[in-house]
Amino acid sequence: MSEKIEKSSQQDLILDVRDLKINIELDEGTLTAVRGVNFSIRKGETLGLVGESGCGKSLTSKAILGINDKKCKTTGEIIFDTNDHGMMNLLDLKPKGKEIREVRGKQISMVFQEPMVAFSPLYTIGNQINECTRLHITKDKKKSKEISLEMMKKVGIANAEKRYDQYPHEFSGGMLQRALIAMALVCNPKLLIADEPTTALDVTIQAQILELMKELQKDLNMAILFITHDLGTVAAMCDRVAVMYLGKIVEIAPVKDIYANPMHPYTQGLIGSVHKIGTKNQERLFSIEGTVPLALNLPPGCGFYDRCHKRIEGVCNVKEPELTEMSDGHMVACHACAGGCKGCSQGVQTTENRKGEEEDV
Amino acid sequence: MSISTLFQHKKKKKSDEDYYLASQWTLMGRKLMHHKLAKFSIILLVFLYAMALFAPFVAPYGLDDYDSNYKNSAPTKIHWKDEDGKFVGPYVYKMTYVNNRQTFKREWAEDTSEKFFVKFFAEGREYKLFGFIPCSRHLFEVEGENGGEGAKIMLFGADSLGNDLFSRILFGSQISLTIPFAGTAISFVLGIILGGISGYFGGLVDTIIQRIIEVLTALPTIPLWMALSAAIPADIPVPRMYLYITVIISFISWTGLARTVRGKFISLRNEEFVMAAQVAGVSTWKIMTKHLVPGFMSYLIVNLTLGIPSMIIGETSMSFLGLGMRAPATSWGVLLKETQDITSIAQYPWRLIPLIAVVVTVLAFNFLGDGLRDAADPYK
Amino acid sequence: MWKYIGKRILMFIPTIIIISFVIFFIMQLPEGDYVSSYIARMQAEGEVFTEEDIASLRAQYGLDKNWVARYFDWVIKIVTKGDFGYSFAYGRPVWSVIMERLWLTIAVSLTIMVFTYLVSIPIGIYSALHQYSVGDYVFTAIGFLGMATPNFLLAIILMYFSFKWTGDPLLGLFSTEMLQEGLHWYNFGEFLQRMVIPTIVIGTAGTCGVIRTVRAQMLDEQAKQYALTARAKGVSERTIVYKYCLRAALNPVASGLAGSLSSIFSGSTISAIVMNLSIQGPVLYEALKTQDTYLAGTILMTQAVLVVIGTLLSDILLAWLDPRIRFEKKRS
Repeated sequence: MSEKIEKSSQQDLILDVRDLKINIELDEGTLTAVRGVNFSIRKGETLGLVGESGCGKSLTSKAILGINDKKCKTTGEIIFDTNDHGMMNLLDLKPKGKEIREVRGKQISMVFQEPMVAFSPLYTIGNQINECTRLHITKDKKKSKEISLEMMKKVGIANAEKRYDQYPHEFSGGMLQRALIAMALVCNPKLLIADEPTTALDVTIQAQILELMKELQKDLNMAILFITHDLGTVAAMCDRVAVMYLGKIVEIAPVKDIYANPMHPYTQGLIGSVHKIGTKNQERLFSIEGTVPLALNLPPGCGFYDRCHKRIEGVCNVKEPELTEMSDGHMVACHACAGGCKGCSQGVQTTENRKGEEEDV
Repeated sequence: MSISTLFQHKKKKKSDEDYYLASQWTLMGRKLMHHKLAKFSIILLVFLYAMALFAPFVAPYGLDDYDSNYKNSAPTKIHWKDEDGKFVGPYVYKMTYVNNRQTFKREWAEDTSEKFFVKFFAEGREYKLFGFIPCSRHLFEVEGENGGEGAKIMLFGADSLGNDLFSRILFGSQISLTIPFAGTAISFVLGIILGGISGYFGGLVDTIIQRIIEVLTALPTIPLWMALSAAIPADIPVPRMYLYITVIISFISWTGLARTVRGKFISLRNEEFVMAAQVAGVSTWKIMTKHLVPGFMSYLIVNLTLGIPSMIIGETSMSFLGLGMRAPATSWGVLLKETQDITSIAQYPWRLIPLIAVVVTVLAFNFLGDGLRDAADPYK
Repeated sequence: MWKYIGKRILMFIPTIIIISFVIFFIMQLPEGDYVSSYIARMQAEGEVFTEEDIASLRAQYGLDKNWVARYFDWVIKIVTKGDFGYSFAYGRPVWSVIMERLWLTIAVSLTIMVFTYLVSIPIGIYSALHQYSVGDYVFTAIGFLGMATPNFLLAIILMYFSFKWTGDPLLGLFSTEMLQEGLHWYNFGEFLQRMVIPTIVIGTAGTCGVIRTVRAQMLDEQAKQYALTARAKGVSERTIVYKYCLRAALNPVASGLAGSLSSIFSGSTISAIVMNLSIQGPVLYEALKTQDTYLAGTILMTQAVLVVIGTLLSDILLAWLDPRIRFEKKRS
């Protein structure tokens, strides 16, 4: 059944990541940061990639553009619908070659976490945005400046003509993030990768930036890969959500499903740890015990085993669970959940029981 | 199987815990040991300092044991086998020379009539180890088969007076290797105190100290050293000469350190933990010594280590010019003084051997400093 | 910007005054003065002096006052008449002694500086771009050796090889013929040839230092986020390296400009003595040894002032290179 869905939606797939693995060579050994990730993005869709820091979500996103450090050895397939060559595996392209550079910035572009350091302090904002325009759209100086200015206005930078000639240190954080978005969108990319674009900003500005991104997405009809550790923004932004843990996707589902019916214990923990407005004060926030283990010489079995409250000894610590479809578009990699909704409802109960227990104490 | 994996798991956790609980210094030490060049440098430096410490024991001759028959002698060749090719252990021949009438050069030849064997741990000239333990054993000596006199073992050749260069390098290292430490100690104290005052109090004191530093850094180092050491009276006892030179050398290097300390103090002064300490009524002195200085101690040590090479080169340069240590004191720079004209190098190339000692030591301190810097960097 | 430069120039005046005072203080530190060292030399040759002779000599040279008074005399004369005092050893005004060699000193120093940067920046970039390659290791090794070898010894070694291969140790900047005929276009080539060893000798330490700075800076800058941003928008590696990283990496090089000038003066002093170069170093050395106070003091002063000017230039250069500094200056 799942194959059917895949085939029917194949038509409008823009990005298809298959069995992506990233190994980092360290003195201590090989660190497997991304351990076989599969996901796809359709045209105009927003996919949220959620996980704790160090789970490999940033590496995954940078792998799509091929801009990871030399130390990172990437294998698998990243199929992207390029304008000129149709479906293409981006990993086949030379990481410094001309072809991939045609993709970067023009067809896939990226917005980074910290706008303060994403610009070079030595050149004006206009220069840095315009560089993108001149690389990909037109060599004509006047025209490209016009295009850049227009995009700056579009992202809500007031007084764009003046700001064009200003340096990054003269911008506020929120304005810089707008400029960064302008730089990313100036060539109308088909896919925007937003790597925690709002974490470094104030809460009020966060909302503005998210709103801006949504608007522009509609205007330009692009897909967004939205990377974050903040489930609140996911709910506001995304159509589907992929939850990553220790270099693997443990659950992937439409955004409503994931909040209404989280299956993987890790996802449940994540959602349980978000404070909801309107809940009673005395309820304690749920927190996941322990810390993420280092992905160096991992023991066999599920990566979440040590921290999981639903672990089945002899199963979970022996065999790594695979992503399996539970309901329409809802996939989860968990032995305890396998076997349909029986497992997951149990899971929800466990969480509730636990909360109850804590209240008793 | 599950037990064994469990066991492994526990063991790993233990080592993780060790890692998180280890102090900054343990971590630095551990990282330093991963830096191969730094590790090698430490071993080398320990060796060099041990040689300096045991110089009177290792050196076969004292500073006054010159032999005019061996003036400018080439390094003594050590033989292992006798005429028949049989292994008899290390021995040397007496060196004799003939004056070449055309070139006025001494031409050295071995007098093969008598073998002088190298004896280890033999009795010899009396000396005081570490300055107070009377002793007369030496690492090696030469003795003739018939107890004959006159043969010397000069591994690195001799100087113009007939002194053994090997022995002199060893004795010279006692000065050349300790001056940077004494100088570092002085500039360390000066740097921390003046930089700390400047950074912590700010205001007028800060302005004055900064101006002084600015002036001192504007003066080129060597000319300034030259000017200062020209002020040292010519015939003072060696210990005082040593003290003066050390003070002069540390005179410059404290400025960089003081700047660093000041910068660190200014940035740390505004940190919350310092404010918290102030609010809690902790005294200024205690805040400085307990909370601020340890915060960048590792950084200071790295800076100091990287500053040592220039001190060694500085001492060598000044002594070379005759403005630093002077005979009867012996330092590597004093030894190199004999290389001032090229003809002497052309004739007696072994006189450059002290240079090797200088270069090796400077390199070792550089590598050690680099290793320390990497180790102190928490992001590496 | 101009206001900033003007302000910096004004700030130099107190600095220079303090420098002159410190120098004068150091100059009078040695026991005795020029007269006592002169008399010692003369007496060694058998001359006889009476107390009166000595006193009149002192008065003649103005050495009968205490050093603070002499300092003020000196400064006032410099400011009012441009008179830097009298060189006892040369028997003429200090300024004329210094001028003889000042331009050559500056020319040699600048040549060495240009050499330093022309050689070190490309090598530093190469090393950073080919980190851990054979070339990187070779340059790093040479760099370390160059920093570890005292430059006067490098001078001796190079002169020795030059002597061995060409029969001429290339002592001095001018050959005897050049001294007789003066510097012309036809012997300019020879002059350049004679500049080779001094340049290498004096420049090596600085070159090695700058190589290491550039290499480390380039590696740092390449790892920064903005390089990644540029890469993500499709900018070529070449542009990333030259447009972004190199410019950022040059900032510390620019701020080290004054320091490198100072280290060239340092290095050239000893090397010039060894190689018999007709620049200020040997004169300073002799002046210090004979307690020719005003001459030595003025040479140190000129060097310090040049370094201070170097600091100003490097500050301006830095402000020009880095907009952040430029704007900070504007605001203050």
